[in-house]
Amino acid sequence: MEDVKVSQTVRNQQSIDRAFASHYGKSMFLAIIGLLILTFIGTRMFTHVDLNLYGYIVGTIVFIGGFFYRFISWGERPPTKVIIKKGIKLLLRKNTPKTSVEQLATYRFIWNRGIYRWTQHILIGWGCVLAILVTFPLVFSWMYFTMQENGMYTIVLFGMDLMVVPADGFIAFMSYNALNISAIMVIIGVCMALYRRLRNLQARAEQQVIYDFLPLYLLLFISITGLTLTVLNLFFEGKGQYVMSLIHQFSVIVTLIYMPFGKLAHIPFRPLSVFARNYREHYGEKSMQACKVCGTGFVSTEQSQDVINVLGENNLTFDMKEGFNLAELCLPCRRKYRISRFSGFPTHEVSVKEANQNAKG
Amino acid sequence: MTFTIREPKQTETETEERRRLYMELENCIGCRSCLAACTQCGGHEQKNRNYVYDVNPLVNRETMPLMCLHCVDPACARSCPAQAIQIHETGAVLSALVEKCIGCQNCTIACPYGIPKFDEEENLMYKCDLCIDRTKDNIPPMCASVCPTNTLQWLTESEIEVKQSKNDVGNDKWVTSMPYLEGETNVTVNLPGILQGTVKLF
Repeated sequence: MEDVKVSQTVRNQQSIDRAFASHYGKSMFLAIIGLLILTFIGTRMFTHVDLNLYGYIVGTIVFIGGFFYRFISWGERPPTKVIIKKGIKLLLRKNTPKTSVEQLATYRFIWNRGIYRWTQHILIGWGCVLAILVTFPLVFSWMYFTMQENGMYTIVLFGMDLMVVPADGFIAFMSYNALNISAIMVIIGVCMALYRRLRNLQARAEQQVIYDFLPLYLLLFISITGLTLTVLNLFFEGKGQYVMSLIHQFSVIVTLIYMPFGKLAHIPFRPLSVFARNYREHYGEKSMQACKVCGTGFVSTEQSQDVINVLGENNLTFDMKEGFNLAELCLPCRRKYRISRFSGFPTHEVSVKEANQNAKG
Repeated sequence: MTFTIREPKQTETETEERRRLYMELENCIGCRSCLAACTQCGGHEQKNRNYVYDVNPLVNRETMPLMCLHCVDPACARSCPAQAIQIHETGAVLSALVEKCIGCQNCTIACPYGIPKFDEEENLMYKCDLCIDRTKDNIPPMCASVCPTNTLQWLTESEIEVKQSKNDVGNDKWVTSMPYLEGETNVTVNLPGILQGTVKLF
């Protein structure tokens, strides 16, 4: 009887989701429609399309396809689902802007891992962001330049005249050379990264050619071919410019298609670290889980429960006969509890702090 | 017309038997060499990832080492929202990939043995990776290579079988399994007390 009811409600549901066969189809449809609308507005009803860049348009659409495929299959995992769902709910927390800047713009945590690594990361990261911010508005003609009066450029953003600047002025100079600057930033950053990977014994022990080097070579490929375009124009009267622009286009499109699947996937996925920080801070303020043995609050009650549920979905349950779940013990007590299981003596009930665990004599 | 079938030449790594970490808990004297050695492994950045515990600190000096047991179905990796914890083809559960770890610390809560550590400053989890740069080439992990009392050993399957035959206590409980652990692990642990009566030469 109940089964019949359920199937009826599904059939009667008028949700827009019913129009799509899958999440993937829906996300893809909405993304392409969004791009079309933005481009319609940005190009003043398709009157200013730069067809020279159409290869990048195709590349972007293939990238979006790969990105949604990867992101949706990833978001289906139970722990990821929890973080995304609660992270979105907590996005309006007071701390979000500060956390976002620290995690996504200034890379404070990488600074703490080492200044050399921070420098290379900020050069590569911001070089790429700058290049993306210039390239994609140009590809979809959300931004273009017109010259109405001689010697003065009008910068048009989303169909609106943003500002009029002298063609030989500072802003115009920065606009023409933004991609050259970003290319130089990326080349320096990638060379630093390559040098570290060749010299640092620690990096050499762990790195793999395909996972760690390929993305660096791709970025180098893009930056060098892009910079070569400028060199050809400035010093060789544009000889070979046509071929080089195709090679450059190829390098960008290959990297875009590869991006959601390799090491570079951390770029679109990294905002999740803001979600994670908010999740820990918010639920930590609400209530802390007291360790079932020593009583110390060590993690938010919410996270402790979420982890227990996630593990339950994976058929892992750590309910002990003493009446607690292992996720409800603080870390030292959980380790002592294991020692007690090995020896038969209840080590976790002796309230002596764990001694000399840092190997510093 | 005759055909000869040429056997594919076996490479050295194929003939060499894979080894596993084997712990004889009774031997531990609490010297903490394993902790010090751990800091020196490539990729560990001077921070150790294992533990040595006093069993009954107010009464006697018995100690036991505790490190990642490299579960066959690791709870840390199952609870990771970023898929940052990968499992190596040798079965070692690796430390978080630095670019993927989002710092949620789910793994530290999920691990039934409380092994993963978290660096707040670097916003990064780190745990025993069985010195993967060494063990992938069948070189013992740092902790096992320095252990002065053979508490930590790097043995082949057949050597572990020999150990088992020597220590037959008639209940196939000579190594930890359920109920001492929460699931199957790649590290073999020999419980204390089982070797009683065996003369050991350190």
